Amino acid sequence: MIDLVEVFERAEIGPLTSETDYYMKRYVPKLSEIIARHGIKWDKNTIINTDDDLTDRVFQAAVDLLAEAGAYCPETNRVMQFTRDEILTACAQCPTETTFGEGRERKVMRGRRPDTTDDRPWVHVGGGIYTTDEQVFMDTVEKMASFNIVDSVSVPSILHIRGTDARVRSPQEILAACKTVRLAREGIRRSGRAGLPIINGISAASQPASMFAASYPDFGLRPSDGFLIDFLSELVVGYEALQKVAFYNSLSANIGSTSTPLFGGYAGGAEGVAVTATCYMIMGALIFRGSYHYNAPLHSKLHLSSTRPLIWAIAMSNAAIGRNMGYPMVNLPYLGGGSGTKQYHYEMACYMLAVVSSGGNVFSGHPAMAVQSDSLVPDDHKFHAEMGLAAAKLTRAEAEPLAQKLYPLFGDKLKDPDKGFTFQEVYDAKTKRIVNDEYRKAMDDVRTELGAMGLEVPVS
Amino acid sequence: MGHEELFAQLKQAIIDQDEDAVLSSVNTALDAGVEPKTIIDQGLLPGLNVIGEQFECEDIFLPELMQAALAFQAAMSVLEPKIKESGNEGPKKGKIVLGTVKGDLHSIGKNILKLLYETSGFDVWDLGIDVDLFKFIDKAKEVAADVIAISALLTTTLVGQRDVIEALKDQGTRDRYKIIIGGGATTQAWADTIGADGWAGTAYEAVNLTTKLVS
Repeated sequence: MIDLVEVFERAEIGPLTSETDYYMKRYVPKLSEIIARHGIKWDKNTIINTDDDLTDRVFQAAVDLLAEAGAYCPETNRVMQFTRDEILTACAQCPTETTFGEGRERKVMRGRRPDTTDDRPWVHVGGGIYTTDEQVFMDTVEKMASFNIVDSVSVPSILHIRGTDARVRSPQEILAACKTVRLAREGIRRSGRAGLPIINGISAASQPASMFAASYPDFGLRPSDGFLIDFLSELVVGYEALQKVAFYNSLSANIGSTSTPLFGGYAGGAEGVAVTATCYMIMGALIFRGSYHYNAPLHSKLHLSSTRPLIWAIAMSNAAIGRNMGYPMVNLPYLGGGSGTKQYHYEMACYMLAVVSSGGNVFSGHPAMAVQSDSLVPDDHKFHAEMGLAAAKLTRAEAEPLAQKLYPLFGDKLKDPDKGFTFQEVYDAKTKRIVNDEYRKAMDDVRTELGAMGLEVPVS
Repeated sequence: MGHEELFAQLKQAIIDQDEDAVLSSVNTALDAGVEPKTIIDQGLLPGLNVIGEQFECEDIFLPELMQAALAFQAAMSVLEPKIKESGNEGPKKGKIVLGTVKGDLHSIGKNILKLLYETSGFDVWDLGIDVDLFKFIDKAKEVAADVIAISALLTTTLVGQRDVIEALKDQGTRDRYKIIIGGGATTQAWADTIGADGWAGTAYEAVNLTTKLVS
């Protein structure tokens, strides 16, 4: 694989072009041409693809897209170009397993192949949702970390300093990022699992300075945690991302390459999102030297990822990478239903069936399009992790009919999703036990309904 | 070929996002003596309306929307000089200053909105991303804008929208402009809190809202 400095140099030597021309003369026409070249077509009746030939064509299309369109660096106004050989070498040499955590929590996340039914996928829970109160933040992290089936956590964000939210790039943001890390590590320690990894480092940091500051070892993050570095949509590699790549590679820390291809944006529809999402994973290995990938395609208008074409595209990208690359992957679902609602659970079950059977690891999802503060309710995430483990026992062909039964239960609600609960509305402030019967009943009911459909989700 | 047939051809060329066919039909219509404004109103805009509906229904996506907008702009580059020559320039629907707040690098939603504004007959000044709040105000003053449209995707950048309104109030010019906000982290409640004139959840809603506000 070409070395890291040479990757950075590609942002200095490629063809000069404006961002608009990059999209209109390179990315958009190339994507369209490549989709046609490889005959990639979403069957609108399908949620989970089972055609391996189509899956492999999506992978080839992703290689072609990077080779022919390149990535774009807005700071230098240059296209970062890579030869097909360089791309394929990166695919062949990318990590297929990554070690996270310390002490007895030190474990290996592996890249999975679709239709693998005899392994135990990595179980990741949580999300970077905004939390309004330090106690709620600590309690949320402690509770998520205390679930035995959990292998790693994403911790929420806490942005306020002395009662005021830190604004982006402000000195207060650096304080908030450091505070988030300190409190998160303390919450994890309180769970009795001090070595458990945080793999959404660093949720409260929007800029490299905040990430680097909060990475100072005294605050509690370690190279064996995971640090997220984002691509900008679509195929944009900014200097801020490359600065983080330079820093975290220098620490030999685990890097989570992160991408959010937009359905309805430059990527277009299901086929474009599938190819672009797959392309980002290749870019994550090649450009960011990622240890794992955070795959988070999103609907550009609804701000969620549980529409039928998006679930198809997300599952497809997992299968394409699983069959051809083996890069460890988690998928970040943004769901419409609020915490604790039946809608949220149905969406999550459908998503898990699709992505886990297609080769993804287990990752619980953001409720309420991640808009509602304090909406990270740990028992939802335990339930969803249990769904993921149940889905891991199924092939794509077995998962598809279940997904088809689930989709009608929430598909029509995505434009006006059910509202849910906050942490404070679900738990007793002192005992941290569930005191909301409506919340508990919805979860119990859905577990029963899933069992009746054929997806047994045992309580862990 | 009758005028009705010409307009249907032009409408279809826009729907097909075929710039060459659009220009060919525009030139045929001009040669047939059709007024430029009639070509716009009866050929181009009906085509753009269909494109807007298709985009809203997810039959087409941003790339197709951009191709249609480019075809429309190519046609306008032929028609506008002729309208100016005739001295028959009608008023635009309104003047919009648009951008993403300081600290926020997200552009796609804003770019979609810009296209929809332009193809709906608004004059648009797109200030881009990571825009200093006073740039919004200075540009709005410079072009005598009707509307300032401010996008923010991140929770941590929302305050940039509030600050534009606060600065306008400090300058005593708040009432000169309608202010609408949008973007992933925004809500109607946030718009109410900061005293914006409106909030839109999608680009299409933003155009409808703006049309109402300026009418």
